[in-house]
Amino acid sequence: MRISAALALLLTVPALHAGFFAPDSSSEPQVKCVYSGTDGHCVEPILKSQNELVITVVGQGVAPSVTASPAQAYALAKRAAVADGYRQIAEKVRGVHVEGQDSIKNMMLMQSSTRTSVEALVKGANVTNTTFKEGLCEVEMEIALSYSRILP
Amino acid sequence: MRSRNGNRPFLFTYLTVISTLAFGADHYYIGYRLTAKNTQPINETLSVSKAMQPCHPAKPSESITLKRFNNEKLQTLLNREQTAFLEFASSNELRVKSNDNFSVTNPQTLNSLTLPTSCYAVEFNDESVTITALK
Repeated sequence: MRISAALALLLTVPALHAGFFAPDSSSEPQVKCVYSGTDGHCVEPILKSQNELVITVVGQGVAPSVTASPAQAYALAKRAAVADGYRQIAEKVRGVHVEGQDSIKNMMLMQSSTRTSVEALVKGANVTNTTFKEGLCEVEMEIALSYSRILP
Repeated sequence: MRSRNGNRPFLFTYLTVISTLAFGADHYYIGYRLTAKNTQPINETLSVSKAMQPCHPAKPSESITLKRFNNEKLQTLLNREQTAFLEFASSNELRVKSNDNFSVTNPQTLNSLTLPTSCYAVEFNDESVTITALK
């Protein structure tokens, strides 16, 4: 009796490790990775019909050196931070156009420049958090993507 | 006992209220543009223009109510309450355009945010203004 119980325990442990007795998670919407970075974290999730994809960015803005008041400095820094946040959202959703140019003379790199550009119409982005410290304003923005929002 | 025409005053009042809500508001075109260079704002423009003709089709959507002082004009009010209005208007749609140039000597970023000029119904009250986005 003891031998059969020990045998059953020995058979159960690898089965549990392999996930045979794990609850069925296929019914729950999950976000899968398109590819993973070098650290193994999810980099680019897929938008599926049954789930909602929330993209979060942190935009940064600096107040101009000459302002009429601290309040104006805060307001202007926040505007710049929001613009930076919108740019990051557009980059993540729409993609970035990258153009590079290297000038080589006599087998030596003389000049190197990289240009990136993005242009998009963003709908439904929200500012969720704002911090202002030592002239730097950071706004946390998010946008929720779903099939119902994309497809009318 | 109410007469046969007893409901007419109530009907007239109801129609008056509905027509005031529908036609009492003025229509304005409002647009906004912000340009930031190297994460610092360098230019900001808020354009307000009264519509010469009512906007069609005028289907109202979200609205915002802002405080108004001493019969001030819409342009003055929006300049004062610019942050609140932009948060309200930018939730609908905002166009972003960014050009970054990275070189060893001169890294430079240029972002521009544009709120597309669209029509709003503006209802002026004594101490407040209600701005409704029209689609």
